[in-house]
Amino acid sequence: MRLALLEVDEVSTMTLDQILLLGAIVVPALVSIVLFSGLVQRDDLAKQLAFLGFGFPCIAGIVLFINFDANIALAEGGYCFELLYARMGLQDLGITFHLGLNGVSSPLFAMAGIVGLAAGLAAIGSGADRIKLYLALLCLMQSGLMGLFASVDLFFYYLFHEFALIPTFVMIGLWGGKDRRSVSLEITIYLTLGALISLGGLVALNLMVIEGNATKFDFPALSQALSELNMHESTQTTIFGLLLFGFGILVALFPFHSWAARGYEAAPTSVSMLHAGVLKKFGLYGLVQIAVPLLPEGALAWSPWLLWLALGNVLFVGMVTIAQTNLKSMVGYGSVMHMGYCFLGLAVVSSLGAGSAVMLMAAHGLSVSLMFLLSTYVYRRSGTFEMGEMGGLAGKTPVLACFFVAASLATIGLPGFGNFWGEFGIFLSLGEHEEHRFFLGLAALGIIISAIFGLRAVARIFFGGSTEQLSVHEKKHAISDLNLGEIIPAGLILAALLFIGLWPRGISDRIDVEIGQRYFHVDEMIDEIQYEKDFQSLPPCCQPNALNKELNGTDSLINSSGQNLNPPADH
Amino acid sequence: METVALSVLLLPFLSALVTLLFLRKQGNIASLLSVATAGGILALSLFLIFAGQGETFSWSVTWIQLAGWELEFGFLIDAPARLLLFVVSFVGFLIHIFSLGYMADDEAKARYFGGLSIFMFSMLGITLADNLIMIFVFWELVGFSSYLLIAHYFSTEEAAKASRKAFIVNRIGDFGFLIGIVLTYWIFGTVSLAELGAEVNFRPHLVTTFLCLALACGFIGKSAQFPLHVWLPDAMAGPTPVSALIHAATMVAAGIYLLLRIEFLFTPEALALLALLGAAMGLYAGFCALVQRDIKKILAYSTLSQLGYMAAAFGLGMPGIALFHLMTHAFFKALMFLGSGSVIHACHHEQDIFKYGGLRKRMPITAYTFLIGVLAISGVCFLSGYFSKDAILLGAYNLNLPVFIVLYAGAILTALYMFRLYFITFEGEPRSKYAKQAKENSPLMTGPLIVLAALSVIGGYHALFPVEIVGALIEDIRRVAQMDNHLWMIILGTLAWVGGALAAIKLYGTVEQDDPLASKAPAFFALCRSKLFFDEIYGLYVKRIQDPFARFLEVMELLFISGLMVRGSAGVAGLFALVAKAFYVGKIHAYALWFILGTLGFLAYAVGFIGG
Repeated sequence: MRLALLEVDEVSTMTLDQILLLGAIVVPALVSIVLFSGLVQRDDLAKQLAFLGFGFPCIAGIVLFINFDANIALAEGGYCFELLYARMGLQDLGITFHLGLNGVSSPLFAMAGIVGLAAGLAAIGSGADRIKLYLALLCLMQSGLMGLFASVDLFFYYLFHEFALIPTFVMIGLWGGKDRRSVSLEITIYLTLGALISLGGLVALNLMVIEGNATKFDFPALSQALSELNMHESTQTTIFGLLLFGFGILVALFPFHSWAARGYEAAPTSVSMLHAGVLKKFGLYGLVQIAVPLLPEGALAWSPWLLWLALGNVLFVGMVTIAQTNLKSMVGYGSVMHMGYCFLGLAVVSSLGAGSAVMLMAAHGLSVSLMFLLSTYVYRRSGTFEMGEMGGLAGKTPVLACFFVAASLATIGLPGFGNFWGEFGIFLSLGEHEEHRFFLGLAALGIIISAIFGLRAVARIFFGGSTEQLSVHEKKHAISDLNLGEIIPAGLILAALLFIGLWPRGISDRIDVEIGQRYFHVDEMIDEIQYEKDFQSLPPCCQPNALNKELNGTDSLINSSGQNLNPPADH
Repeated sequence: METVALSVLLLPFLSALVTLLFLRKQGNIASLLSVATAGGILALSLFLIFAGQGETFSWSVTWIQLAGWELEFGFLIDAPARLLLFVVSFVGFLIHIFSLGYMADDEAKARYFGGLSIFMFSMLGITLADNLIMIFVFWELVGFSSYLLIAHYFSTEEAAKASRKAFIVNRIGDFGFLIGIVLTYWIFGTVSLAELGAEVNFRPHLVTTFLCLALACGFIGKSAQFPLHVWLPDAMAGPTPVSALIHAATMVAAGIYLLLRIEFLFTPEALALLALLGAAMGLYAGFCALVQRDIKKILAYSTLSQLGYMAAAFGLGMPGIALFHLMTHAFFKALMFLGSGSVIHACHHEQDIFKYGGLRKRMPITAYTFLIGVLAISGVCFLSGYFSKDAILLGAYNLNLPVFIVLYAGAILTALYMFRLYFITFEGEPRSKYAKQAKENSPLMTGPLIVLAALSVIGGYHALFPVEIVGALIEDIRRVAQMDNHLWMIILGTLAWVGGALAAIKLYGTVEQDDPLASKAPAFFALCRSKLFFDEIYGLYVKRIQDPFARFLEVMELLFISGLMVRGSAGVAGLFALVAKAFYVGKIHAYALWFILGTLGFLAYAVGFIGG
């Protein structure tokens, strides 16, 4: 962050909102640097500093969420609170430091802030050894996460992702659980490969619009240039394939998902929370914001593939989740399963699918991080993640049980919690066209599958009588209910989930505006294709040219077939 | 008006929220708050019912708006909604009061009453909702509150299993319901009930049997109809007032209400199927009820059977009569469940009817009110159940004879198992020490019984009720009144209950600890006990197919995805590294050798010995 390049008058004209936006990235980064530098000796001071490093982005996220005005954003080219430093020394390459929030990134930015604070509080209270280093790495990660969603420039969008990704590997390697070394290695290689492939896709996109030395990393400029370019379908398909599989690996698309559950099981809680909740959304965010709208024909070409793979997430991984006996790996697999819905939303290539996918991303980030947090709370009491060795905890820890039931039900898409709206919207988008309805039937089976593993976990951990192992453990360690320090981070996330669940317009309105604009041409393209298909499915006598002769104009036919996908038999 | 409707809905939600946040440990305050809330709901509901003066009231705001999909949060208070609103708020209020007595000594009173409030919130949501998606939202929420309340005694294995089973089986129904809603949205372009009705009128050819059957899956799950009926008997693991409120009077009846809301979407084929399914359920559940020992299980199977009657009435094209039976059933079944609760409470939570006996002398109010319930459900002339059940039977007789025969057999059975329950529980001599010590409960518990008993007597005279409440019934009741064979039906109906009662006296007049049927007709008894093996088949599926399949996929994943694909590619890279590493042995001689060999090779290539 080369702030030195700022001109004085630029700083003085910054609005409070812009300061918050920049601060959400800079404050945790600064905290991280201070902690790294060893200037802070005392642990409690380090914790207070870290609290600042996580608290500021959360407050910034919420304030900017409230202050965001979709209509202003629309009028100003899509972004609010824009901040642009053009002369960073990289301007000749077309790279600028450009921050801002649009309708899609605004809820995700707030979500990142909230999850970040909860993960930070969990880390502060975790009592990990070498806590200063741990907090420093986590703050660095948080800075990267906030930057990722605030970046308008693709170069920084990618750079911030790496900022967040690399500490993940280190933290799993140093503070992880079982098999941490090998898991850390596997994740590093796997995710770096994914990041590399997606980087290839992004670079390929940029090469399309290269002028002299300068390409356009700035997103609005890039999309403008690409839309004028009219790319050939095969080019689109190739580049979309790179982005899909690159991002797909990062989001644990079936069958590239095996790193996820293993990784989350081994990772320390805060890292699982931030990675599964927020960082994993990087890939989906890229697909929603960049890949599908810029390469709609490529997306359409890959759509059948993606539908099947996403179904693999929902059904295959869903069934595997049922087989899990370890709480943390169950949560990990469950989170991979629900990513399948987001992919399904993208695979239908429509604004409704994409918008619902964003709804689900925001809610899923909250719910999965809550599940990881609560799993750790359970672990602190039972001394194990094996669900077969627990039982009857609800009597001893009613508050924890209450949180856990709520989080499980949120995860399985109970209305009233955020996840429901995204899932439902995705089901709705799958029903739009005849050829997707088959997938609707199969994907909806997921609501049963997730209910099975979600409620099984609740019953195994909290209901029934206490198992022998738990009784033995209890003799050594008294089991107490959640304390205030544990309730606050969990309550924060749960409140956000309830907010989305009860008042979905709180986030859907802004998503609607942004997606509506960004996917306008995508919907148009699909409508055209569908329109042609409808005519082809009519018997020859009703083909448009035949009708033209008979009816003198096709207006009436367009109306009836536009609304009715199954032409009635009497045609 | 909308303010009142909103307050009716939000009042129980706020009550549950306050209980959750502040009153977790103050069970007494929480219970009073919840009961006060139920009272408030009743008052506001009555206001809602009468303020509209019989006009349909609707109101909505946008709930979510996303990429062309706009969903309203709205109320549609028409005649069926007013009736259900009355039933839910009135019966709900009585059961809240009863709970004060029944749950007085429970440690987790706050959780219980909080759960009741959440239930009232969700149930009122279904009642008032003006579109299918909103119904679905609250539909799932009643499922959740039912889950919560069944799991009240969570430390017992039984409750832990039953709560899960209820939720998952309901979700299977919701799976079909969800698909139905999505298809409805795309076929008709709307999910609003009012607009849907208009659309169907305008383009009736779009209605398909598949679509309405998909939607009916919701009903099959929630109302516990074949083949998803297995959860309801198990749900009796919850506290008895919950069984009365949720699993008898209101929630399970919500399935019928849903059918009523989308009545116009049903094709004749689908209706015929529902009628058959309903009638079959009426008979099947009757046989199951006949051989149960647990007082609550008997009532649960009886509920299944009566829900079958409602489904049959709907399937025969008499939705008003289905709603009529829903209302009378809510009165007499809530009465009997609360009566059983009163008995259970007095007998130290003993639920085996063969351990009761002679309770009429010890608990007269409970016994006599219970008897009224038994008479009502058996269809004794001029009690509430007579009117609604007779209407269903008469309709079936005139419209669909096979359905009538099944339903009539069910009616005989109903009288038989109900009188069996009554005689074994309340007559004869006490057969356990708890039954000997049993005492009548406090007015908190008997009060609601008396009110419900009164309604069970007069509930069938729809003319006694204000037209604002029963408006939805009148049309169909008039239709049935104009049908033929009335006298014939009175005779047949009376024969059914008298026959059932006489058989019950003969069989169960004097019993010991064992069911006399078990020795008199062992094969029949065993067949009924087996309940046709539904639970076993489903259990086997989960144990032998679903779980092994899940584990099989887990192994496949380990083998092929983590193993072959990931480790395999890592292995290929590793092998390459291994080979390459073999050249780096760290000895200068070896390097010198490689160097010379390389040079020789290069020279050979240069002069043309190899390559070419």
